[in-house]
Amino acid sequence: MQRKAGWLDKFVDDLPSQGWFQFLSRHLVVPYWIWRDPKPVLPGGPRPSVQPSESVQRMMNLIMPLKDPSPIGRARAALAISQNVDEIFAGLDNVGTVHNARFLLLDGNICMLSVYDGDFSNYIRDFIATIGSVFDAVMKEVEGGDAMVPTTEHIEEFIDWVCAHDLFQAPDIATDLFNLQDAAKGIAPGSLPHDLRLLPRELILQLHSNPNISLGGGYRAYPGYSAAQVRQKFGVGW
Amino acid sequence: MGEQHRNLARKLVTALQRKDGDRKRRPVHTFGTGASGHFIPSPVAAGFCDAEHFRSPTPATIRFSNGSGSAVRRDGWSDVRGMATRFHLSDNKATDLIGMTLPVFFTPDGESFLKFAIEARPRPCQRATPWQKFRDMLRLTPPVPDPYDGETISPDAGAIAFAHQHDYARAGVFQAATIGAPQSYARAAYHAVHSFVATGADGTQRWVRFSWQPVSGVLTTDPEKDPVIDDYLQAELARRLRNGPALFSLMMQVGEVGDDFNDPTRAWPPHRVRIMMGTLYVEKMLDDVTTEKLSFNPHLLTRGIAPSDDPVLWVRKSAYEVSSGRRRGTPCPFHGER
Repeated sequence: MQRKAGWLDKFVDDLPSQGWFQFLSRHLVVPYWIWRDPKPVLPGGPRPSVQPSESVQRMMNLIMPLKDPSPIGRARAALAISQNVDEIFAGLDNVGTVHNARFLLLDGNICMLSVYDGDFSNYIRDFIATIGSVFDAVMKEVEGGDAMVPTTEHIEEFIDWVCAHDLFQAPDIATDLFNLQDAAKGIAPGSLPHDLRLLPRELILQLHSNPNISLGGGYRAYPGYSAAQVRQKFGVGW
Repeated sequence: MGEQHRNLARKLVTALQRKDGDRKRRPVHTFGTGASGHFIPSPVAAGFCDAEHFRSPTPATIRFSNGSGSAVRRDGWSDVRGMATRFHLSDNKATDLIGMTLPVFFTPDGESFLKFAIEARPRPCQRATPWQKFRDMLRLTPPVPDPYDGETISPDAGAIAFAHQHDYARAGVFQAATIGAPQSYARAAYHAVHSFVATGADGTQRWVRFSWQPVSGVLTTDPEKDPVIDDYLQAELARRLRNGPALFSLMMQVGEVGDDFNDPTRAWPPHRVRIMMGTLYVEKMLDDVTTEKLSFNPHLLTRGIAPSDDPVLWVRKSAYEVSSGRRRGTPCPFHGER
């Protein structure tokens, strides 16, 4: 026989929609758990994989905070892109592994979102070799960017910087978050039991450490081939 | 190995039988809805799999089902759904493809599945007390959902406790716990879960996994609202088919070196190459007597498709046979095989 819901049940069920309880959760409960169970910042970009399809249509979600987020600073960042359109097109064509790239101004950030094939470091290296001047123009507008200009002379630092500013890609299988958090702490994935019911809390705490994330590794539409495969198939390669 | 599988299968079928189930029916996926239709392969399908139904249009029988083994139909409750498809080949031969809305299985082999079936046996469930819910909220843990009206036993607590101890069960249990109820059997995606070896027209062999994708898109009911009608999926499908066929695309995911071909608890990454193998046209409802007597088997394959060494796939071969015998269905395709 099921216990009937009384007034206290209804009161508690309704708590998550109450403003005062939301306030309490945000300002007391969540900070308590952040203190109690801090999560390491998880690294950005796609995770290493040697499997061929994992190297196809990878995402870069580069979020670069502007030195000057005012409309003037944002306009300067916009100009850095619009004055280099030829360089960008020529660079993308020459890199040869990029499906598309775009730049966005979001709040106080300039963002570069791109889809590319192959290894991340090589992608950045190729980009610097072909459109280093564009990155130089952008980096002058970005916090901490001056130290890496010209990028052609600071390749390794620039790759590390991009890694740190590329969004963490949440696992495509939600429960894999446990393993990624364990791995970041040096614990072998799968070696510790985890209570499934705690997964939402793990996500909340992770979102404190990685406030901006990519939800999954991208939903690749059918058929999902690489730029090189498309070039070859259509006879427009070089 | 055959007798070993059969012994395990008998224990499994017994363990899966719910106390509120009906022994004259299947122990899981108890309630089904039958339909007939035909499958039209895509122009590229035979290049990747030389099986007869990927070379020419093939009539098909389909059984949609609710995952629960309860003897009461509860369409609106959150539950895994099934879609078993029999392709009727020439010379009275057939091949089956059995999918479910869960993209992974709970355990990697038959023995662990038996343990899971025992630990996840439905047990009495109660509404959590206000204090338990409040404590969960303070722990940033969603409170255990209230049982549905009429729900007195549930497998959830046992399944979650099992997943706590066995990391391989996490993905399946987590997704099963949050899966919801479809608006229609024709608006759910179904996954065959196991790997098979497909041989293409040129003899190339590939490790593959199959999924049905509804052409009309996936749509579940609103989990925030109480399910209003217990039995709506059959009537919805009948209504839908009166207006035209329900279509499903058959997608074949191709595995790569490094993927685990024999572990159904791990979904392959979504980035694997997929091939569009054809379209299923679900056209006519079938009567319940015909459908419920049918005995499908995930091992009923045809030239061009071979089973992997996935231990669950092998134990399912025997489990379906045992289940078919106990409920006196039409003889399992492997009945009497020793």
